[in-house]
Amino acid sequence: MFKRNSFNWILMILSSLVLLFILAPLAGMFLHTGGTELLETVGDKEVQRSFWLTLWVSFAATFIFAIGAVPLAWLLARKNFPLKNVVQGIIDLPVVLPHTAAGIAILGFISRDGFLGKAADTLGLTLVNNPAGIALAMAFVSLPFLINSARDGFAAVPERLEKAALTLGAGRSRVFFTISLPLAWRSIVTGFVMMFARGMSEFGAVVIVAYHPMIAPVLIYERFNSFGLKYARPASVLFIIVALGVFILLRLVSLRKKETNLSPDAEA
Amino acid sequence: MLKLKKINKKLGHFTLTNVNAEIHEGEYYVLLGRSGSGKSQLLELIAGLKTPDSGEIWINNKNVTRQKIQDRRIGLVFQDYAIFPNMTVFGNIAYSLHSGKLGKKEINQRVSQVAEEMNIAHLLDRFTQTLSGGELQRVALARTLVTSPRLLLLDEPMASVDASLKDDIKRTLRQLNRKGLTIVHVTHDYREAISLASRVGVLHNGQIVQEGPPKEVFRKPINKFVARYAGIRNFFRVKFHREGNACKAHCKGNLIFNIIDGSFSEEGLLLLKSDEITIHDSAPEQGHDNCFRGIVREINPSEYGMEVTVDAGEPFYIDLPVNDLKMLKIKESSVVWITFPKEAGIVLPGTG
Repeated sequence: MFKRNSFNWILMILSSLVLLFILAPLAGMFLHTGGTELLETVGDKEVQRSFWLTLWVSFAATFIFAIGAVPLAWLLARKNFPLKNVVQGIIDLPVVLPHTAAGIAILGFISRDGFLGKAADTLGLTLVNNPAGIALAMAFVSLPFLINSARDGFAAVPERLEKAALTLGAGRSRVFFTISLPLAWRSIVTGFVMMFARGMSEFGAVVIVAYHPMIAPVLIYERFNSFGLKYARPASVLFIIVALGVFILLRLVSLRKKETNLSPDAEA
Repeated sequence: MLKLKKINKKLGHFTLTNVNAEIHEGEYYVLLGRSGSGKSQLLELIAGLKTPDSGEIWINNKNVTRQKIQDRRIGLVFQDYAIFPNMTVFGNIAYSLHSGKLGKKEINQRVSQVAEEMNIAHLLDRFTQTLSGGELQRVALARTLVTSPRLLLLDEPMASVDASLKDDIKRTLRQLNRKGLTIVHVTHDYREAISLASRVGVLHNGQIVQEGPPKEVFRKPINKFVARYAGIRNFFRVKFHREGNACKAHCKGNLIFNIIDGSFSEEGLLLLKSDEITIHDSAPEQGHDNCFRGIVREINPSEYGMEVTVDAGEPFYIDLPVNDLKMLKIKESSVVWITFPKEAGIVLPGTG
């Protein structure tokens, strides 16, 4: 239990101030938003389209990039190779970049003059102002969350288990899918949730790549710019509720996944 | 059966250097070495988890140095068993069988059979987190044995098992060996070698420094390191010389030992096993090859009962059963006499 001495009191007061700093603006926003305004916003087709777009694009970006990110995380956790630290630094780069700068970089890459833009153009696809472009911008800024979490998960799996599986005749891919992946699964799902949530809330990079179609953060910004704080608030509250709901749902799924890993059929 | 030919491998801060060994079919070979001496790495090299920098590994007259792990048919049981926590005991044992083309019925049959042999049939549906060290050990063995390995490698198999279960594990290992399975067992505990090995090798500074039947290795250790492995704590730096027909060893503490005859160099080490020294609470009758008067400095519990440290110009460490100590009625600062036959002295010539 927490003993009531002066040091603990100071810790409690400082911690409370930090928590208050996070909660107070959110609580204020909720308190200033009436039920009627919120219901009107829920029924707003533009808001619905925008929220749906945000959710599915972020999910698709996370899912597609996970296919490459998870094996990369395993490599980082298990293998030593030249310039490994540089590779790790490159992965963390999007976290420290200003997101608008990241957006500019992505735009250069996917515009018709860019490498990917040209390739997409030959297929008759335009990435700018397109959900595909939005997905790339979201993935760019949020990939480190998945890679780093999955890497930590793989690193926590004792290497001896993988070695034991090899001596039992399993090939490298079977070891990966039956030992490494199931045992690191929780960290991978946590990283997945973090990447999804981070991608969903991205504004800076996305607004440069695609103002339209509008994802939720851009819609909130647009309403604030055009109509002011009062009109931006209900959409913000609603987006926070949706984001929290999805976040909690995915966390629950990840916890249930862990239990599934320990089921008798996990190996077969 | 297994031949290691001039194996060299740099492993972090130390190197396995020119490791040569030959293990015969059906042999129980114990490799002794300190923690961090490269024993486990040597097993991983044999299993194929690591590749030597140079040298060759031969099994049944075939060079397997570059052969894939999956094709070597070598079983390795890790020190902490490396049981897969995401699977049941059944899942662990059946793991290797899923790689082949066996049907479900045959897999069940083979798992049940090996589980019966290891006395873990009642645990098959259990997850491994709740199993004891002894049970985990048996699961690890069963999981390896179900692959029908031609060679079984054991990495410190007793290290994580309660003392009370060690005899059970030893019995199981002896049975497996008696059935013809060749076993290479690495440990830091010489008692495991004595009770299990048909041959023992001592790994020191990345090299196998002595090899042979355990009794021979521990009776005639070639250096101080091996002697320590034999549980010997009494070491005396001595100079050898002859007095007529007798052979003497002079210690710097002015002790003169009578030792067995031999052709020794000028100086070397004299080793005495603790259990070969007798302690007396009064002056013994004459006729002992070696008899010294000393003072008891310490009495401490030991794995054999009690260890008495006697200062007779040089410290002597003597193991005694607790009852023997009670009968002697000695305590710290008591004056005692110690005796031992000249055959008890093990001579290590040279300065090593």
